[in-house]
Amino acid sequence: MNQLGDRLREWFRERKQKLDLFDETYVDVAQTNPLYTLGQIVYFSWIVVIVTGVWLMFWYEPTEAAAYNSIIRIQHEVPFGWLIRGAHKYAADLLILGILLRLYRMYFLAEYKRPGELSWIILFLSLVLGMISGITGYLLIWNQRAFWAAKVVLTTSIYLDELPIIGATKFGTAIAYIFLGGPAIGQGTLTRFYAIHFGISALCLVAVELYYIFTRRRRFLMSPAMILVLLAMIVATSYIFPAELGRRADPNRTPLPILSDWYFLALYQYVKYTPPLWAGLGPGLLINYGMLIPFLDRTKGRKLSERPFFATVGFVALTWYLLFTALIIWNVAVIDQDPHLIMLATLGAMIVGLILEVRYRRRQRAAEAAQSKPLRPPAGGRAAPSPGA
Amino acid sequence: MENRNKGLGRRKFLKALAALPVLGGLAAYGAPILRFLKPNLEPGLGLPKGQLQNLAEMDLPTGGALPLGSVQEFKEPWSFRYFVYTQAFAQYTPQRSKSATIPAMAIKLPNKLSFPGFQQGKVETDIVMFSRICPHLGCIFNFVPNHKEVTAGYGGYTPPPERQHGLMACPCHLSIYDPADAKVPGRVISGPAPREPRYMSYEIRDGILVVTGAEPGGIA
Repeated sequence: MNQLGDRLREWFRERKQKLDLFDETYVDVAQTNPLYTLGQIVYFSWIVVIVTGVWLMFWYEPTEAAAYNSIIRIQHEVPFGWLIRGAHKYAADLLILGILLRLYRMYFLAEYKRPGELSWIILFLSLVLGMISGITGYLLIWNQRAFWAAKVVLTTSIYLDELPIIGATKFGTAIAYIFLGGPAIGQGTLTRFYAIHFGISALCLVAVELYYIFTRRRRFLMSPAMILVLLAMIVATSYIFPAELGRRADPNRTPLPILSDWYFLALYQYVKYTPPLWAGLGPGLLINYGMLIPFLDRTKGRKLSERPFFATVGFVALTWYLLFTALIIWNVAVIDQDPHLIMLATLGAMIVGLILEVRYRRRQRAAEAAQSKPLRPPAGGRAAPSPGA
Repeated sequence: MENRNKGLGRRKFLKALAALPVLGGLAAYGAPILRFLKPNLEPGLGLPKGQLQNLAEMDLPTGGALPLGSVQEFKEPWSFRYFVYTQAFAQYTPQRSKSATIPAMAIKLPNKLSFPGFQQGKVETDIVMFSRICPHLGCIFNFVPNHKEVTAGYGGYTPPPERQHGLMACPCHLSIYDPADAKVPGRVISGPAPREPRYMSYEIRDGILVVTGAEPGGIA
């Protein structure tokens, strides 16, 4: 008991020292490598989202009858409403994009390995929270896209009741009711989504502030020039592509090309391919798998060639994400045939990855044996550090 | 070292044992916080019996029989009509009760099949009615009279020759249903839907189609 507690405490102490919420330990690297400005871009766009969000709250009316009209008013009547709303939307897009790119960077550069595990988990969690903020946020517009996205998402959880044993507790239905605030999308849902949308950012901001206060780290590490450039980009985008309104939500009609926000598109295509239980279960398992990656990947090297299997997993995931997004935009889904092809391709890629991994390890072992034979050093030249201690 | 650990082990064990009820107590404090989030589905939970339990007659939502038109209007095969059926449905809301609306459709088929939506059970008919709520994830699906439009607009599914007629298709996840399937009217022929759509029950009163209800059950 005691030892376990000590080891846990030690584990956390080590990770906390190297913890990296917004790439603040990479300031020097960021000077030359733009990939390491991503964390700061995420932090900056988040602050913009929060500030503009509070600004929007002055005009927004969270009721079924008035929500859509109040958005029209913000967009077209309120002075600079288009700017505040556009900045809110596009900064939020930048936030999600930044988190996604940073995740892929951490994955392909193996930054999730010791001592980066905690940073990876927090970043992954922030993607999930960002996506929840996204889906709760765009229902607030009360347009068709948001209405049907919310309907679909909250119905998938009902299918979780089909699971053996734990399904009998009806927890899937309970989840749906908790988020819907009743048996169907209505005023209750709108109120709850408003609370969640604001609550996530508010609570996370408190947590991040506490972290900064206790670690005495600096908050903003970006140069004023870069902040200005980013702000100018957001303003220009809001001016050139005014944030969309869509059509008012109509519970009796689903429009034919119906899409979600861009970061959900791949998921949307996936839901077409699977039985409905897996529509909820798949993403759930994917999130868990993603969070556990630092503990699943026991390889020691950090280069892609030194961990061929996990490199393959990463490329497969990225390929499907991009391909599914493209497919849904083109509105192509041959449901009788595509899933088999997808499964075959995934399986094939995984097998190739596994073969590469086995070959790499065999070669590595042979090289080690060749190295250690003439000198006979104490057990293994390179693989000396005791695993996981 | 070993010995000390052993001696501490027993104490630790007892401590852990004592911690269990404490944790249970804390969880009991947490429970109402979670329960607070889940809306009540029936009135008067936690109140003295009879205080809010019974909806008064005037509180009950209205709904029921919906005349749709005469049978004569449904002469052409594959003619169809969308309608919204209001279900008398006592549902607990802050307004105490509410009526639910179900978007639905009626389709005239070229041939007769046995359709379950009648009071006396299955009856041979060539007019079928379905709820338009997709049994997959709750979107509202459409009737598409021309099967080529299904291929063009709903992901590229080509129906087999015997099903190349009017079909029902859902915009969200491209489930496609065959309203004229002889065995299961509304059978899923493509897409992720787990079952056929719910039927609407109706009867013919003096040559008028009257919708009387919906097949009970949730989305799936």
